[in-house]
Amino acid sequence: MAKLDSEYTIPDLAPELQRGPTWLQSRRQTLREKFNDLPLPPRGLHLWRYTDPSKFMQAQTAEASATGSRFADLIEQERKHLSESHLAGLVTDFAGRDIKALGVEKLAAKGVVITALSDAVESHLDLVEKHLYGLIGSEMGKFEAMNGALWNDGIFVYVPDNTTVEQPLHLLRESGGAGSAQFPRLLVVVGRNAELTIIDEYGGGSADKKADPAYSNGAVEIYGLEDSRTRYVSLQRNEAATNSYLTHRAKIASGASMLTVPLAFGGALSKQNFGVILNGPGAESNMYGMLFGSGRQHFDNHTLHHHAAGKTHSNIDIKVVLRDKAISAYTGLIRIDETAQTCEAYQENRNLLLSSGTKAETIPELEILNEDVSCSHGATVGPIDPIQLFYLMCRGIQLEAAQRMIVSGFVVPTLNRVPQDMRERITRFVDTRLENV
Amino acid sequence: MSEQQGLLEIKDIHISVEDKEVVKGVSLTIGRGEVHAIMGPNGSGKSSLSNGLMGHPSYKITRGEAKLGGKSLLDMASDERSRAGLFLAFQYPVAIPGVTVANFMRSAVLSHRGKDADMSDFRKLFKKEMSDLGVDASFATRYLNDGFSGGEKKRIEILQMSMLQPSMAILDETDSGLDIDALKTVSEGINRYHNDQNGVLLVTHYQRLLNYVKPDFVHVMMDGRLVKSGGAELALKLEDQGYEWVENELGLKAGV
Repeated sequence: MAKLDSEYTIPDLAPELQRGPTWLQSRRQTLREKFNDLPLPPRGLHLWRYTDPSKFMQAQTAEASATGSRFADLIEQERKHLSESHLAGLVTDFAGRDIKALGVEKLAAKGVVITALSDAVESHLDLVEKHLYGLIGSEMGKFEAMNGALWNDGIFVYVPDNTTVEQPLHLLRESGGAGSAQFPRLLVVVGRNAELTIIDEYGGGSADKKADPAYSNGAVEIYGLEDSRTRYVSLQRNEAATNSYLTHRAKIASGASMLTVPLAFGGALSKQNFGVILNGPGAESNMYGMLFGSGRQHFDNHTLHHHAAGKTHSNIDIKVVLRDKAISAYTGLIRIDETAQTCEAYQENRNLLLSSGTKAETIPELEILNEDVSCSHGATVGPIDPIQLFYLMCRGIQLEAAQRMIVSGFVVPTLNRVPQDMRERITRFVDTRLENV
Repeated sequence: MSEQQGLLEIKDIHISVEDKEVVKGVSLTIGRGEVHAIMGPNGSGKSSLSNGLMGHPSYKITRGEAKLGGKSLLDMASDERSRAGLFLAFQYPVAIPGVTVANFMRSAVLSHRGKDADMSDFRKLFKKEMSDLGVDASFATRYLNDGFSGGEKKRIEILQMSMLQPSMAILDETDSGLDIDALKTVSEGINRYHNDQNGVLLVTHYQRLLNYVKPDFVHVMMDGRLVKSGGAELALKLEDQGYEWVENELGLKAGV
């Protein structure tokens, strides 16, 4: 168990975190100290203007319990998909500690590794040591250090060079109940000219608004080596009394492509940070995200496209739909290094507000250090256009149906940018959530 | 005008936009089987009348009444007016990104037929109407009016009218922005739709549409009022001599 003391520091690591190779133990200790040394981010500071960081100061880890308690039906359904070869594998992760991989034997024959990170530090030491903490380490901030010190177990995925995993890999992460904290972690290495699709689903947590919230602090590191093709869907549909913090970083080499689909639907408070570093010529990153909030949900999302090499291409399209008193803050940073010539970077964030009590902020940020780039950003915040509504109603369509049509139409163009084979799965999640928005 | 058989009956309608009165007392009765045309210079209140009758949120009806088939329209929301049989072809059709023409059309037809209705004939009907109006089949999966040319939008308006078969169709400047081929196709669409049970109100600035769709009655609108009515020959005279002679005859100024 890790516990925060009265001064919000981690006095020591639990014995179960003091296992494994020495380098890992020492990294954990360094990160623990880093966490203790760093103050809470001041509220005025860049990424903390909209969200109270003290909401994420919680470290009481969940007791292990039967995995998939809430997801029994979903797991059953995915087992069927596995047996019909519609799914490459299913990894269940309870409270960032109890990792089980299903259906991955077939992939093992191709050299694909899907395993608990705690096993991988032994079995694939070279790969893990080279990559773990490489993208999300102590330099990123207090909460990244917190995950780095306290992750109990994580998931490790490795696809060897020239290997294609044809069906998606589903990672199902379930948070513990009220008052619990979890620190899920994911490390993915996609080899040269290899191909992988991951659906990384975060659910569960606490639904009890009267009790302490469940807390999840996740870290996702993805490496796409030369000419690899990676598609990563992050689906957050936590229960209503769950606070979550997620940092995602991917680095892609020359000729590699990365599709990131952040979908944020659930929880009470959700702060997510998705970033892709384009590290070699010809690298391409696309992010197509959707966020639906209702009630008093609070979302705070940040994206980063960092062009560290020339002749790279990035595109972001994030759609936000809010109703009741939901809040969303989005900041999107495009950074283009001085040496990264001839880049293209586009960013668009549109917010549709269905109730007058909602609030949306959208802040594009550009740090462009050379002239030879094509760059654009667009942002809109507004209610449903009454003239669109009028037009649909003039054809006999009732008010509510017309509203639903416009909301669905608002997200569909973003959804349609997702490749056909993934779209079907995502559409299901989106439709289910839209029914309640 | 056949007063007894009034399909659409408008009495002393006043319409305001942002507290400015733009329609200042219009009365008009359109019977089943009739084609009426309202002509007038820009700013005379023609489009305001059309939009107000359909329930446009910016056009407030401050006085008067309007009935369709004996039922008062003014208490109804726009969707109810549509289901009651009123149709407005927009001068500037609205783009709805993300909603395909086919999905939209299906929802519209379903709302008219009732949600448990048999829709098995929909696809066939939709295909036929598209082909009759010279609309390429690919439009079915395009987003409604999104990036459509002026002519394409107008054809899609007429397509909607054909699919919904309203009892009373108001066509607001449907001829504007059409080249001669599109004008012919659209006119043919209107003529195919029109029968002795429904009514058509053409709202137009120019006479040229009336060469293809023959009006039984022509009304001249100026400064928010219908100032003169006649037969098809009135449209020809307007085409020939402009609106000035009406002004002179009545001692009015146009477009104020």
